[in-house]
Amino acid sequence: SVTTRDLKKITLDVNSNSVAQKIYVEVNNTVPCVRLLNATHQIGCQSSISGDTGVIHVLESEADLEWPLTKGPNPPYMILLESHLFTRSIMMKIKKESSRIAGVTVVVPNTSPSEFSPHTTCPNENTGVYSDTYGPHLAHCNTTVWNPLGNGLSYEEFDFPVFSLKEDKQCYYDHNRVVNGSAPQYPLCAMQLFSHMFAVTDTATCMRRNDVINFSINPEMVCDPLGDFNVWGSIRPYNRSQLGHRDNESVVMAAARLDSRAFFWDVSTGAEGSISGFVTLLAAAHALRDVTQVAPPTHNILFAFFQGEAFDYIGSSRMVYDMQNGKFVIDLDNVHSLLEIGQVGLRNGSDLFLHSDPVSRMNDTVNDQVREHERYRCSLIHRHHRLVDNFQSSPLPPSSLQRFLRAQNIPGIVLADHRAAFNNKYYESYYDNADNLNLRYPPNMTAEEQLEFLTDTAMALTEVATVVARALYKQAGGDGTQVDNIKADSKTVTQMLFGFLVQANNSWFQALIPPELKDMLSDPPDFYVGVASSSPAKAKPLTRLVQFLLANLTGTATNLTQDQCQKPDDLPDESVQMYSYLWVQGTVPHNGTEKGPFCVRASVRLSQALSPAFDLGEYASRNYSTWTESRWKFIKARIFLVASRDLEMLTLGVGVAVLFSSLLVTYFISTKADVLFSSAREPASAAY
Amino acid sequence: MNLERLPNNEKLSLCRKYYLGGFAFLPFLWLVNVVWFFKEAFLKPAYTEQLQIKTYVKRSGLGLLLWVAVLTTWITIFQHFRAEWGVVADYLSFTIPLGIP
Repeated sequence: SVTTRDLKKITLDVNSNSVAQKIYVEVNNTVPCVRLLNATHQIGCQSSISGDTGVIHVLESEADLEWPLTKGPNPPYMILLESHLFTRSIMMKIKKESSRIAGVTVVVPNTSPSEFSPHTTCPNENTGVYSDTYGPHLAHCNTTVWNPLGNGLSYEEFDFPVFSLKEDKQCYYDHNRVVNGSAPQYPLCAMQLFSHMFAVTDTATCMRRNDVINFSINPEMVCDPLGDFNVWGSIRPYNRSQLGHRDNESVVMAAARLDSRAFFWDVSTGAEGSISGFVTLLAAAHALRDVTQVAPPTHNILFAFFQGEAFDYIGSSRMVYDMQNGKFVIDLDNVHSLLEIGQVGLRNGSDLFLHSDPVSRMNDTVNDQVREHERYRCSLIHRHHRLVDNFQSSPLPPSSLQRFLRAQNIPGIVLADHRAAFNNKYYESYYDNADNLNLRYPPNMTAEEQLEFLTDTAMALTEVATVVARALYKQAGGDGTQVDNIKADSKTVTQMLFGFLVQANNSWFQALIPPELKDMLSDPPDFYVGVASSSPAKAKPLTRLVQFLLANLTGTATNLTQDQCQKPDDLPDESVQMYSYLWVQGTVPHNGTEKGPFCVRASVRLSQALSPAFDLGEYASRNYSTWTESRWKFIKARIFLVASRDLEMLTLGVGVAVLFSSLLVTYFISTKADVLFSSAREPASAAY
Repeated sequence: MNLERLPNNEKLSLCRKYYLGGFAFLPFLWLVNVVWFFKEAFLKPAYTEQLQIKTYVKRSGLGLLLWVAVLTTWITIFQHFRAEWGVVADYLSFTIPLGIP
C-alpha cells in the first residue's frame, strides 16, 4: 500500500531517474470492466481517452454517497467501494449523477457476500426457444424466474470506468478524510483510471468500422466477435470428411457448457454455473469407456461441451447451424435425444430434477414423447436419488437444449439441482468459486495431497455422473445387465475439481497435456469465452484442457512414437480422418515408475464456436448471438497527489508573468544596448 | 519574392496566374492573391496596370468568401450530424474517432 511517507520519500529521492516516477504510483493487478456490444446495445464501462482523474473517496455507506454526488467541494470524485456496497442501487445513483464522478473502484474482498449475481434475472431470454410464437406464456420468465437474485449490473452501460483493485486505502486516510463535516485540505490523493474502449453503439457499427479500414487513413480494428471452440467426442468415431446426414444413424447426445462470465473482465470461475456440469459429463464419459467397448450400445453417444453459452448460446447455436447446413459430421435428423447437464453442484439432499420442454411435448406425437420421457425416467432411477419430474407447465431453464429445440423438435432433458429458481446465489459472478461448491480440504495438506483427497463435493458429483452414465447407456440401447457395472470414478472427479477450482498446475493435469503446452496451466483457468480465434491451436487454455481431458478419459493409449503420432496416416491401422492423435506428457517420473510421454488416440475434436451471425454478415441479427468485445490500447490505474485548482492557476500565472517580464526586459535591453554597453568599450585596435 | 523589385507588367501577370489558378478548386491561391497584392492594388499610388490588378484582387476576394461560406457550412453540418448519419458518415470519413459514436 502507498503511505504518505512513501510518496514524500519518492518526491525527495534525488536519485529517481524520472519526474513521472516521482509523482505517479502505478497500481498493479487491476481488473477493468470492458465494453461489450450486441445487435442493439453497448454494455460495460468507458473512460475518456486520456484517463479519468478523481479525488479518492472511500464510501462508508449508501447515505455517504451524498458527499461525492452533491456536497463535496472537490469534484470529480473517484469512489472506492467495499464489495458489500457494490449493489445496484448505489451504482444506479452514481450513474445518474455521473458528472461529478470520475470512476468507481471496487475492493476485492476476501469472503463472498451473502448473495450477488450481476447477471439478469432471466438469462438469455431472447435467444432461447420460448418466444411470442412458441410457448408465449413461458417466454421472458413469466412462470419461473430462474435467477431472482440477479441485479443486471453486467448489462448496464456506464460512461465512467469501473475497476476492481486490491485494498489500498492508506493514501485516502492520510490526505482525504472528512473531519467533522469539513472538507479536507489540499493536496489530496487522487486516482486516474485508463480504460478507453474503441467500439461504440452496437455490433453492426463496430463491424462496419472494422471493414472501413481500407479507405481510412487510420486503419484500426475496433472490436472482435466473442467465440472459441466447442469440444466434442463420441464413443464410436466419425469420419470427419463425411459431413451432413448419415443414413440409419441415431445418436444420443449429452451436453454441458464450459464458460461463464462476471461483471469484471476475465475473472469468472463458474464453479456451480458450469464446472459442476462439465466435470460431471467428463466423469460420465470416462465411466462409459470400458463398458462401451465390452458391450457396445445400439446407438452412438456424442458428448458435446459448448463454449460461449453465457452470451446468447454462441457454441450451441453454431453447432445447430452447422448441423442444419451439413457442415457437421451428423445433422439434426440423426440426433436421437439430448441430455444436458445443467447446474448440479448444490443439491438439496439427494434431489435431482429433470426439466423438459412442455410445449414440445404437447405439439408432437404425444405417445412418442411420453415414451421417450418415461424411458429417461426409468433410466435415471437410482437407489439413492429422488428424481423429480418438473411440473407439466414448467419451462426449460436456460440451456443449450433450447437452441436445438428452436431448430427441431428433439426429445431432451436438462438435469439440474433446482426445481425452479437456481440454487446458485452467485450466478455468473466472481464469487461463484470453490467456496460456493463447499469444496473444503482438511488443513495442513500439501497441494499433492489435496489433489488426491476425496471431498464431499466430489462424492456428490460422482453420484450424479454415475446416474448420467447409466442413463446414457440405457438410452443408447445398451445391454441392461451391464448397467450396474457403470460407476463413475470419484478420484477422477476430485482431481478435476481440484485442478479447475484450486490449482491448475498439478501433476495430474501436467500428465494429460503435451510437454510443450505446460504454460497453459500457469494461470488459473479462465472461464470467460473471450474473443474468437481462427485456428484450434489458439483456442483458450480451458477449452484445450477439456479437449485433452476428454481424450485421455475416453481414448486409448497407443504404442506410437512421437513422429508416428504426428503422422499416423503412414500406418495401416490408424486414420486421422477417424481419430485425433495427441502426444501427451504421461506421468512424470515418480518413485521410479516412469511412464513417459505417449500417444493417445481418441475420437475427440474441436469445432468452431463462432456465432453464425458473423459468418452470414447479419450483425443486427435477432436469431443468433451478436456479442463482440471492444478493443483497447492499454488499461492501467495510478495514484498521485493533486494540488488545488487555485495553486495550479497561481503557478501558471506566475509562469506567464515571468515570460512576459523577460520579454520586456530583453526588448528594453536591446533598444538601449548602445547606452548600456558603450561606456566600457575601448576603441577597437585594428591589429590583424 | 519581393514585389518591390518586379516591373509592373510582371506583377500583373503574376496576379493573373494566381487568379486563374484559383478556379481549379484552389481557394488558397485566391487567399494568397488577396493578401499579397492588397497593398499593390489599393494602397500604392496609381499606375497603368493597377486597375487590372485591382479587379483580380476583388474577384479573388469574392471567390474566397464564397469558398469560406460553403466549407464552413458543410463542416458544421458534418461535424454535427456525423453520429446520426451512421453508415453514410462512416463511408465519407477519413478518420473515425474511437470510442465515441
